[in-house]
Amino acid sequence: MQTLIPRTIILIGSLLLGFFSFPQQGKTTVSGVVKDTNDKPIYGATVLVEPLNKGVSTDEQGYFQLSIGTGNGSYTLRVTYLGFDEKRVPIELGQTGESPYNIVLEESSYDLDEVVVSGKSIVNQVKEKAFNVNVIDAKKLHNTTLDLGHALDRTSGIRVRESGGVGSQMNFSLNGFRGKQVRFFIDGIPMDNFGSSFQLNNIPVNLAERVEVYKGVVPIGLGADALGGAVNIITNTYEKSHLDASYSYGSFNTHRSMVNAIYVSKSGFTAQLNAYQNYSDNNYDVTVDVADINTGEYYPDQTVERFHDKYHNETVIANIGVVNKSYADQLLLGVTTGSSYREIQTGARIVSVFGAWHRKGNILMPSLKYIKKDFIANGLDVRLNANYNFGQEKNIDTLHRRYNWFGQYKEYDNPGGERSYSLYEYRNNTGIATASFDYELSQNHKFSLSNTFNTFNRKGEDQLDPDSEIYEQPRKTIKNILGLGYGYEAENWSANIFAKQYFQQNKFSQSYNPSGDYGDIAYRDQTNKFSYLGYGLALTHFFNDDFQIKASFEKSYRMPETEELYGDLVNLQGNIDLKPEQSYNYNLGASYWWHMGTQHHINLNANGFYRDASDFIRPVLNNNQTMQVMDNLGSVTNLGIESEIRYQYREKFSAGVNVTYQNLRNNTKYEGGQTTESVVYRDRIPNMPYLYGNADMSYTFQNVGGTGNLLSIGYNMLYVHAFYLYWPSLGDDKFDIPEQISQDFNITYTWKEDLQFTFECRNIFNKKLYDNFSLQKPGRSFTGKIRYTFF
Amino acid sequence: MKQKLFTTYLFINALILLGACSSDDDSATDNGGEGPVPTSKYIITANPTASEGVADYILTTEDLTQGSITTEGNGIEQDGTYRYYVTNNNKFFSLLYGQGNPGAVTTYELNADGELEKLSDFQSETVQARAAVNDDVLMIKLSRDLESPYAYWYRLDTNTSTFVDEGQINTEVLADNGELAYFSWITQVGDMVFLPYFGIKACCNDADGTNFPDQANIAVYSYPEMELQTVIHDNRTSFIGRYANTGLSVDEKGDAYTFSSSVAMSNGEFTSTKPSAVTKITSGSLEFDTDYFFNLEEASGGYYLTNHYYVSNGKFLGFMEKEKVSQYDTGRRLAVIDVYNQSFTWIEGLPEYTTVTNVTARNNYVSEDGTTIYTGITSESDGSYVYAIDILNATAEKGLKVEGGVISAISKLDIAQQ
Repeated sequence: MQTLIPRTIILIGSLLLGFFSFPQQGKTTVSGVVKDTNDKPIYGATVLVEPLNKGVSTDEQGYFQLSIGTGNGSYTLRVTYLGFDEKRVPIELGQTGESPYNIVLEESSYDLDEVVVSGKSIVNQVKEKAFNVNVIDAKKLHNTTLDLGHALDRTSGIRVRESGGVGSQMNFSLNGFRGKQVRFFIDGIPMDNFGSSFQLNNIPVNLAERVEVYKGVVPIGLGADALGGAVNIITNTYEKSHLDASYSYGSFNTHRSMVNAIYVSKSGFTAQLNAYQNYSDNNYDVTVDVADINTGEYYPDQTVERFHDKYHNETVIANIGVVNKSYADQLLLGVTTGSSYREIQTGARIVSVFGAWHRKGNILMPSLKYIKKDFIANGLDVRLNANYNFGQEKNIDTLHRRYNWFGQYKEYDNPGGERSYSLYEYRNNTGIATASFDYELSQNHKFSLSNTFNTFNRKGEDQLDPDSEIYEQPRKTIKNILGLGYGYEAENWSANIFAKQYFQQNKFSQSYNPSGDYGDIAYRDQTNKFSYLGYGLALTHFFNDDFQIKASFEKSYRMPETEELYGDLVNLQGNIDLKPEQSYNYNLGASYWWHMGTQHHINLNANGFYRDASDFIRPVLNNNQTMQVMDNLGSVTNLGIESEIRYQYREKFSAGVNVTYQNLRNNTKYEGGQTTESVVYRDRIPNMPYLYGNADMSYTFQNVGGTGNLLSIGYNMLYVHAFYLYWPSLGDDKFDIPEQISQDFNITYTWKEDLQFTFECRNIFNKKLYDNFSLQKPGRSFTGKIRYTFF
Repeated sequence: MKQKLFTTYLFINALILLGACSSDDDSATDNGGEGPVPTSKYIITANPTASEGVADYILTTEDLTQGSITTEGNGIEQDGTYRYYVTNNNKFFSLLYGQGNPGAVTTYELNADGELEKLSDFQSETVQARAAVNDDVLMIKLSRDLESPYAYWYRLDTNTSTFVDEGQINTEVLADNGELAYFSWITQVGDMVFLPYFGIKACCNDADGTNFPDQANIAVYSYPEMELQTVIHDNRTSFIGRYANTGLSVDEKGDAYTFSSSVAMSNGEFTSTKPSAVTKITSGSLEFDTDYFFNLEEASGGYYLTNHYYVSNGKFLGFMEKEKVSQYDTGRRLAVIDVYNQSFTWIEGLPEYTTVTNVTARNNYVSEDGTTIYTGITSESDGSYVYAIDILNATAEKGLKVEGGVISAISKLDIAQQ
């Protein structure tokens, strides 16, 4: 987004103002306000003085002011704005005490509805970039009760799989890549170090203005080692004072609330407070075989309520600073604080049930943000970000019990845990600093340089085993990613070429006890360094306003995560020798906008992609099979297609369908030292959805119960084709994850534009949904939400 | 009679087999020719080599000596990556290894049509040692954490497929030297249960290491009460068995032979000064026979034994390896070890051992006459085969080809009597 604002401004500037600069010694001033026929100010309308060719854009209040240095005479004010008829107003200059002009633009009857589609919102401008990018206009979802995870789940190419209800472990997959192979950003800042209290499926959709999903090829502005793509969540812009508050209550005792307040003063001072909270008992029904606590005998197919799955998190983000100053477009100091609490109901499979094990986490993260256009030189835009997370994670498993699904347990009087006796508590002490520079040499040539620096220094301890930590120090990592890009923009085509330098250094010391005597410690030090070069290219061509093709390529890397390198001391053992994962990503796509008359619009979008990835980091059991350890295993290719069709009728009705098919194939020909071909070579990767899609529809009734009040009804369907849990080609008596169809319905009433009531029903037909392995997800649920917006 | 005894038990697991053989309890069903046409089938479990999404497949066959079977489009998929198998009471138990989580155990028997049929599941803890004892399966869950030094045992009744008893053992008290005792395996010896163990530090970044590399210990428990009777010590070898692998088998006379791999480690170094060797506990005795010592490193020319499998009449299949790299390797070069006359003979007719990538060490099948042992071998270029090893002549013959996986178990079930 940060790259977009300058671009937008430059675009408007270059097209409409013709690169004229405003003389400072203006003697005559023209000012006024541009409004529509409903007396609403129009923001961003262009006001030109002809024939001087001097111009300006209106601000949020529709206000404009133009200084004209030269003499008197008759001129014409030409006022234009997309979707409105052009207006020409003759003016006489030279008189003092010029009164402001009030200009009213009339909505263009000719292409009013076209504005919806081709009037280029930021959303569309991003979509039209050469990169394979999807943009979710989050504002349109602000009246739903969705979190960001579920909002993303409705996008082509994306599957979000969860282990349960609110706050559960989320598994994100994007064109076949999953887990950490896809990176997440908030306003361009990597989310790597945010900890467990800041997960995508516990952030309300209202936090975001829009979400950009880059598939396969990631622009260097997002400086990260994303193997298969990136998701960038764009939050607030500091354009105007604003207050938005919402609360929802629903099935399974789920409460969510959010307040977002932004204050921007005339002088440029700004303050923002964003607070949100999620709480849920997640006590939905599941159907399981329940084991007798003593004999192990199963009582098959019992319907029981989940009893240890409470989740809550609370987060406050505060920012204070200045905007629109000569020295900074944005200079913000902030802090993110929050905490989370999660009870763990099951292990990886539903048969392992727990009744006391839980985790806690908190975040305390100061941050700094600086944005300045035309920094030092004209056309040089700079953006700096830094944050440091002091947050802490804690694993609490101290009750030596064995539960069953009836909630019964037997308890042992010895020390022990349900899974692994633990009170492990750690801080990862992660820091991130990013800097990016965009320089526009001329209208056609643009250069970008970006650098992202990460630090990590794990400190942890287990109260139950206070000596353990001295054997595990230090665990430090620094990571740096430097990107350099060049973009060329012509009238109907553009190209981007870029290179990224990945560097990582891991310092690790393994200590041991040389003599066997208590307290005698020696250290084996290890330092690993990686340095890799990735590169890519993105091209797009517009045949006309309505038809675009794009193609992109990247050779990408993902450096091993600190968890993968150092383990979590609970279930995961570290492997300091991990190498980065790598992939060649190719995309080819086309978009077509089709207008039937002025009221019907259809947008077709199709993208083909190919991924050739190797050295995947995958878990295996360690030597004595007590923990998992990550290893570089496996190569995968993925040839797929995703397409989307969207239809819009005026502003009343819209419907869309998207479908993704991906042919993920195992590309590891020889396994474990064999010289004979692996039996599953070229077999479809198991336990991954490969055909899935969404359909949605919404209809808005205008002026219901009063002028301007809206009633809209929405429907969403999710489809996932059945897939096998294990390799499809093997066995004849197999486990599978059945086809899933979930249908959601919502109705929203908007009263006087600032008060909204929403009622939502998810999974209307109460279908059994299995997602992650065979873990069951919630059945039918109802939620009501109230939202108040104060501008 | 000894061999008859064998035929009455259909245990795949060597130890289980041995343990049960020495038992006085003769409750297993006698299938010696009664009934119309007594038929049986071999059960083979195969584990595909792949980086993820791995499940075991259970296959059945009537002949181990020829032909081929495959996991492609064939076999019963087993949920969960790591599984262990026990056969007892003509039932085949498939246990999930769930890293500390409980898991479902699936039980199969052969129905009248000669097909594997799933009996009711039951739930079990993840255990590190499991073996048939009488008509039960005894399982032990072990601790590697000094802060919670308890092992838990569970007794499964195979007739009802339910747990009937459980208890706990403080392994820190048992070891009595600051470390934890870690049972390598379970073997029934007469009416007792022998649990050979090794010490583990269970802490300090060297959880599996020990400061006591040169001692062999066996805890002896009564059965089914599981009360500690005594602990047998020997300092001529390192510990008996190794992590999740047996080191103790009983012959037809009731004498127990104990095998040490000499793989004790501390801080990542092999520290035992004793050779890999066989020692003996005479039937009825609760002491090592100090006169019996068979140095396997000497007999093999510098190899050490990782696993053994009892065949008959004092003859064992030994799994040998030259280089000690880790405590967890399985020996790829096979030999016949005769503990009666202390002879050692490399087996002819197997793939060159350096090209072998997998051998079936835990669950093999011994023919009813006790002359042949069937084991699975996977080599780099050849894939997986069942080899029939003639134990008297120390020769091997390539038999059934198993396509699409390494062989993790070979067993046999009779058609269940209704």
